[in-house]
Amino acid sequence: MQHAQAEKEQPMVRRPILAFMLVFPLVSSATSVLADPPRPPANLVASDAKGDVGKKVDLSWDLSPDDTAEAKPRRVIAYHLFRKEAGEAEFAKLKGEPTYQSTSFTDENCERGKQYLYRIRAVAPGNELSTAVETTEAVIPEMEYFVFSRVWYGIILLAVCGSVTFFIEVARSGRELKIRKIAGLEAIDEAVGRATEMGRPCLFVPGILDINDIQTIAGLTVLSHVAQVAAEYDAQIEVPTCRSLVMATARETVESSYLAAGRPDAYNEDNIYYVTDEQFGYVASVTGTMVREEPAACFYMGAFFAESLILAETGNSIGAIQVAGTAMPSQLPFFVAACDYTLIGEEFFAASAYLSGEPHQLGSLKGQDVGKVIGVTLLLIGCLMATLYSVTGNETIGTLVSFLTNNVLGGGGFLP
Amino acid sequence: MTKLNPDNINVILATDCGSTTTKAILIEKVDGHYRQTFRGEAPTTVEEPAADVTIGVVNAVTEVGELAGRRLVDDDGHIIRPTSNGDGCDIYISTSSAGGGLQMMVAGVVREMTAASAKRAALGAGAIVMDVIASNDRRLPHQQIQRIRELRPDMILVSGGTDGGNATKVVEIAELIAPAKPQPRFGSEYRMPLIYAGNKDAAPLVEKVFDDSVELSVVPNLRPVLERENLGPARDAIHDLFLEHVMAHAPGYNKLIEWTDAPIMPTPGAVGNILQTIAERQGINAVGVDIGGATTDVFSVFNGTFNRTVSANLGMSYSISNVCAEAAMPNILRWVHIDMDERELRNRVKNKMIRPTTIPQTLDALVFEQAIAREALRLAYKQHKEFATTLKGVQQQRTVGDTFSQELGGQTIVDNMQLDLLVGSGGVLSHAPRMQQTAAMLIDAFQPEGITMLAKDSIFMMPHLGVLSQVHPQAALEVFERDCLVYLGTCIAPKGAGKSGKPCLSYQISGGSLNESGELAFGDLKLFPLAPEETASVTLEPSRGFDVGAGAGKPLTADVKGGTVGLILDGRGRPLAPPTNAAECREAVTSWIGELDLYP
Repeated sequence: MQHAQAEKEQPMVRRPILAFMLVFPLVSSATSVLADPPRPPANLVASDAKGDVGKKVDLSWDLSPDDTAEAKPRRVIAYHLFRKEAGEAEFAKLKGEPTYQSTSFTDENCERGKQYLYRIRAVAPGNELSTAVETTEAVIPEMEYFVFSRVWYGIILLAVCGSVTFFIEVARSGRELKIRKIAGLEAIDEAVGRATEMGRPCLFVPGILDINDIQTIAGLTVLSHVAQVAAEYDAQIEVPTCRSLVMATARETVESSYLAAGRPDAYNEDNIYYVTDEQFGYVASVTGTMVREEPAACFYMGAFFAESLILAETGNSIGAIQVAGTAMPSQLPFFVAACDYTLIGEEFFAASAYLSGEPHQLGSLKGQDVGKVIGVTLLLIGCLMATLYSVTGNETIGTLVSFLTNNVLGGGGFLP
Repeated sequence: MTKLNPDNINVILATDCGSTTTKAILIEKVDGHYRQTFRGEAPTTVEEPAADVTIGVVNAVTEVGELAGRRLVDDDGHIIRPTSNGDGCDIYISTSSAGGGLQMMVAGVVREMTAASAKRAALGAGAIVMDVIASNDRRLPHQQIQRIRELRPDMILVSGGTDGGNATKVVEIAELIAPAKPQPRFGSEYRMPLIYAGNKDAAPLVEKVFDDSVELSVVPNLRPVLERENLGPARDAIHDLFLEHVMAHAPGYNKLIEWTDAPIMPTPGAVGNILQTIAERQGINAVGVDIGGATTDVFSVFNGTFNRTVSANLGMSYSISNVCAEAAMPNILRWVHIDMDERELRNRVKNKMIRPTTIPQTLDALVFEQAIAREALRLAYKQHKEFATTLKGVQQQRTVGDTFSQELGGQTIVDNMQLDLLVGSGGVLSHAPRMQQTAAMLIDAFQPEGITMLAKDSIFMMPHLGVLSQVHPQAALEVFERDCLVYLGTCIAPKGAGKSGKPCLSYQISGGSLNESGELAFGDLKLFPLAPEETASVTLEPSRGFDVGAGAGKPLTADVKGGTVGLILDGRGRPLAPPTNAAECREAVTSWIGELDLYP
């Protein structure tokens, strides 16, 4: 009940009015009418809100007879609502005041299963309060099966999940799902081939964050493919890591790739090693290795910060084919400028599905694309309609914009 | 072979010893210009019972001599040189593809890099590449050895590693070849020629691997760095070894080698030579095609880079079944405008396969054969595009502007918009009853974009001129321009797609006998007569989204040459996609055929 405050009884309010009338006995009759408290509203009804989880109560009432649209000046400026649990002594004021001419209000701070009683008073401009009108029967908010405010969220969720399932089934049936070519992933064979022809190693840097970062995991997925290609070409792959857990995971990944390529004998775990947790200590070590060993192919896949440009520039200077992938927006321009190929954000996360070609992953990738298409389409429609509304002022469009903003996009919709 | 002063060369005799016929041509200096004057043909005699290629050569040359009224062969059966008293010739040159031409096996470390370069070198030298062995070809070593044993190549080219690069893998490849002991096609005493054009540091190690059963030649690396190819030395070595080993062991060739004034070249290598020379001299991009019975050769020169591919299973007789299988009957029949029974067509295909020398006797048969030719050429060109690429494994230079347009290495260099000259040769193209049919086949199969000159090599003279270009480039060029090519005309095709019937190009043509202007609707073809010696100025204004060479929607003014067919405006869009609905497709094809007057 932090939003409520206990209600004081009427004498507290009447006292200044009486004093006012004593100090100014000659005021006109009209003035004395204004100072009177307004007449109370009637028929206060409290009912459990439909389509919610049991946290809302809908209130409705008839306007105070003094609350008329024509009244000038107004005799009623607002309504104060109070609530108490059954068995409690005092009412507490609810946060939020319905203004004049309002006949409904929703109390959104209830607890499921409790019994509530409500009271309403009309408020005059001088803060004079009408007599109270109360509900006689307690209302109990209850949970419904469907939360109607989240209907759009449900529809969109169904569309996305449905398309994921649909595309998985399509992929399983053997039909080819068209996935845009990602140059950075296609170039892996080329980069490893270059290393093979030149008799030099491939360098894989899995970012500087730990294994709990999603970018590191995505990077290791790519490492799995790079290692398999390297095993097939019989090229050496070197993976310096910044975290010990990443090293352990990378070792497992590379070993299984060599096994899958039928070259377990060629796997050398010493090529996957831990350097240091310190950002620039790690960078100094990696760039030193690059300058000394001159790898022909460098892969930077994971989360990068200030070291991105140092690594990419060093790789460029030794003439390596470089493929980078990160979801760090601030580092992308550096990678794009200094590397041969760069996987940008989503491309990086799609790598796993792209490279594996597994029906589950491909279907999920396509299904998520459907979700993005729905989101972008709704946003575009919203922008268009909002622009039209601001230009034309058409009320119908305004209503549609408000519906789209509050229901489909925001509130319980696409962006809950 | 004596070195001759080009100024003293007035009469040139050239032969091309094919598998079935030996073709001879006579080139003479007429009014200060070299012209091809006479030609003769005789069966090739490389097989038993004659088993001497020179007999066929003498027969063909004798025919030319008789036609020219010039004695070219003396009583001993030798070619008379130099000219004296109106007899004999100044030089004699020859090419050869008899006995299946030059067949090679190539090997490299990475299939898409050094192995691809080795393949390019072999194809460019005029060889047929039987197989490519690479460390990443997904075959196990014993399978690779087995394959090498099964092949009987004339020659092997081994590459791999950049200079100072991988040596281990190169030696591994050598170690696969050495124990396999590949056997040559000709002669048991013949030592297999093997050219090593890989990492120079690995050469001594490779030499150690092979014993005396192999004739090893070490040449400079054909991929010294991944950024650059150096195919010249390997190609020269292939030509030398072709003469020294392959030709020397073929029946009668040792005699023929002595007769010629320039090294005998493999026929496709010579064709490539002349195309390169022409493209270089005229500063143009050119594509040539030779469609044969068993194979289709495609040659291209784009921005000075020469490429050749041999589509071994695409041809008009021995390989016709394969064309039908690869292209699928619906794709072939989309070019046909008359009712045909598919079952009968299949029988016709098989008949052609078992009787390869038959030629169409009815209109139906001709239409069907030309439809197959379109598909064979289309597929061969597709293979060519996939092979003629930029180098793989090369470091790319990027800017931030490339964020969303990162292109892979190994993109095709074949750009139809940049294509200036398209030359067709081979029976189905050269001997088509109407010139329009040749032009239509070339346009439908190659889909040239923008402005492209079309020509055909009617008597397949390009091989002769290819060898001649090495001895006397001026003579080769003059004959090529005046006598070799039959110019069919110019094709103007806007690139893009639109709605059928909507205008895609407005044109204004003036010059020669033409003064035309109008609009070309999408899906239409128009033919304007423009004689071979005429040129016209065209102003083209493509509609939005269409490109004729100046960029999408941008106007272009150019001079175009005429030909035996004329000026063709092709508004069918690029890529060319006939309607998928059979009835609509037939209607469209019928209108195209009518416009070009292809068939009676």
